[in-house]
Amino acid sequence: MLFILEDTINGILMGSIYGLAALGLTLIFGVLKVINFAHGSLLMVGMYVAYWAVILTGMHPYLVLVIVVPIMFVFGYLLQDILIKPIFKAEKDVREPITVIIVTTGVWYILDNLSLLVFGPQYRNIQGNPLQGKMLEFGDMMISVPKLWGFCAAIITAALVYLFLQKTRMGRAVRATSLDREAASLQGINQYKIYNVTFGIGTAVAGVAGTALVPFFNIFPSVGVLFDIKCFIIVVLGGLGSIGGALLGGMIVGVIESVGPQFMTATWTEAIVYGLFLVFLFLKPSGLFGVKYDW
Amino acid sequence: MNHRHQWMVFLATAVALLFIPGGVMAQTVVKVGNILPLSGPSASVGLQNKQAQDMAIEEINSAGGIKSLGGAKIQMFYADSESKPEKGVAEAERFINTEKVNVLTGCWNSAVSYPVSAVAERYGIPFIVPVSVADKITEQGFKNVFRIAAKDSWWTRDQFAFLKDIEKEFNVKIATLAFVYENGDWGKGFAEGWKKLAQQGGYKVVLDEPYPSTATDLSPVVQKIKRANPDVLFLTSNAADAILLTNTMAEYKVKPKAIIASGGGHADPSFMKAAGKNAKYLFDIVEWETDVNKPGAKEINEKFKKLYGYNLAGESVDAYVAMYVMADALERAKSSDPKAIREALVQTKLNKGPAMIVGYDAIEFDSSGQNKHAALVMVQVNDIGKGMERITVWPKVSRRANYKPVFPTP
Repeated sequence: MLFILEDTINGILMGSIYGLAALGLTLIFGVLKVINFAHGSLLMVGMYVAYWAVILTGMHPYLVLVIVVPIMFVFGYLLQDILIKPIFKAEKDVREPITVIIVTTGVWYILDNLSLLVFGPQYRNIQGNPLQGKMLEFGDMMISVPKLWGFCAAIITAALVYLFLQKTRMGRAVRATSLDREAASLQGINQYKIYNVTFGIGTAVAGVAGTALVPFFNIFPSVGVLFDIKCFIIVVLGGLGSIGGALLGGMIVGVIESVGPQFMTATWTEAIVYGLFLVFLFLKPSGLFGVKYDW
Repeated sequence: MNHRHQWMVFLATAVALLFIPGGVMAQTVVKVGNILPLSGPSASVGLQNKQAQDMAIEEINSAGGIKSLGGAKIQMFYADSESKPEKGVAEAERFINTEKVNVLTGCWNSAVSYPVSAVAERYGIPFIVPVSVADKITEQGFKNVFRIAAKDSWWTRDQFAFLKDIEKEFNVKIATLAFVYENGDWGKGFAEGWKKLAQQGGYKVVLDEPYPSTATDLSPVVQKIKRANPDVLFLTSNAADAILLTNTMAEYKVKPKAIIASGGGHADPSFMKAAGKNAKYLFDIVEWETDVNKPGAKEINEKFKKLYGYNLAGESVDAYVAMYVMADALERAKSSDPKAIREALVQTKLNKGPAMIVGYDAIEFDSSGQNKHAALVMVQVNDIGKGMERITVWPKVSRRANYKPVFPTP
């Protein structure tokens, strides 16, 4: 039975990184009420930023967070401010502006193809980084060290985002906007600024997820697509807009993917994950922690 | 005005008179219609094929053309299929009816070569297929299709032939096999072949595991391999998953006696870079490798690299060789009549010249038009002082001089 424990641990670790990747998506949805189709591409950009930061500075793959987080925050902030805000303003009477979704899809294609143009189609990883291939061994049981770091990064990031939303003035303004943007505006909150900040934070969190993946995953222009769909499933499982839900949803998907293949072929676990997704949509569309009624 | 007009008529007549005898006496030209994907998704490989064939045709023509036809030159007509079957068929019809080509060649994509082979058969034009590997192309009972490359089912056959040979060479008994493959047509096709061959060879299959090529975490699959503990692991992977599998296996210290891959992702240049030393000792099957121990291979590759800036790949070699097979047939046919060329192709027994840079010793077609000697080579990834490289190890005649394969994996 040891192997079930080993696989469960691997699933929780990997799943927390999925959750971290989905965290930015759920945050942006919670506030902007827009599904950001470019989220996988933001993750991809985060991976490339982290990759080049490690290659160029030679720092520890997690120390580059001091570079990645500010760059990604500014990137997300400007992306929202320059590209998405005008569409929001044009559709300000619509509650869930569909055109914004189309714009984010455009951003996805542009970013993926831009990185294909700039970095080429090849697969990269950081050879000889201090975390690469490291394993903790307890007898027969092996735990991946880079995934363990990713797990810690996910917990800490989620906690920080939670504290920011609960304890700071800006965080309260973000929550107010997410509850009711009209009412928030009436209280003197500049909703477009809140959107910019939220998009910036969501993008920065995607950057953290990218940094966590870089020590053990391949970096290539379409890498975001692999995580994109997973993130949507996780967000629905956990409840749209819920931070804890994103982490828990990620872990559920991770454990299914990790333990499942020991009883069936690996391709079937995908079917189980999608099946669960459908079951949730039918029975509990608000997810594990989502609120039942939307405002 | 009128005066000048007369002068021009005179001049034109004179020029015409000058050229007509030349036209009558010129060497005949052999017209070859070549359909390749020169735009669209397979454009880069289509271009590689074209460049290899351009080089071969240039060599043949500058060496005096087809001598039995009075030094006739080969004239190549290109058409772009865009990887679309219907486009390929239309171009084949145009080549035959409008350009009156004597030979057809192409089309890289199996999906295009397959319907084009029917057009060639209908008009009785010999169709030389360098690399479309789908089995069915030569299995329609057609008389005019001739394929140079090994067909799909031969890849798995050769992987097992290699395994048998290396077992004998090192006197190591292999009992258990694991099959891990991407869950697409390609991977599943290979797995079917493996299962049949494992049964015939008396091996025990301890793991038969398809996985989604889009997987973000392959450690569960690696864990399964580890727990199944096979002697030999067979892989069919695309590039991203090949890298992920190789690195994850190194993390979990999974070390079967040998890993045998199927080209594809494992042959991608970025695989070697991203997997680094974790790829050491991996065996991979390919059509051809630059270090193949055959006379002329190195020089021809150097020439190609100088012209186009990159190494010949297996497919370009087949394209290059196909032109020499055609020239050889024309030489023996002593005619540019498609029927005579077809008869000559049937009689092909080419075992010398530049075509012999392939990893095997002769080109002959069986009754279906398949090159019956077409074989693949097995390479081993190893570092023998110049960084990780792919070293040809099998068949033994093509093995790199002074290299001893590492088996079983230490």
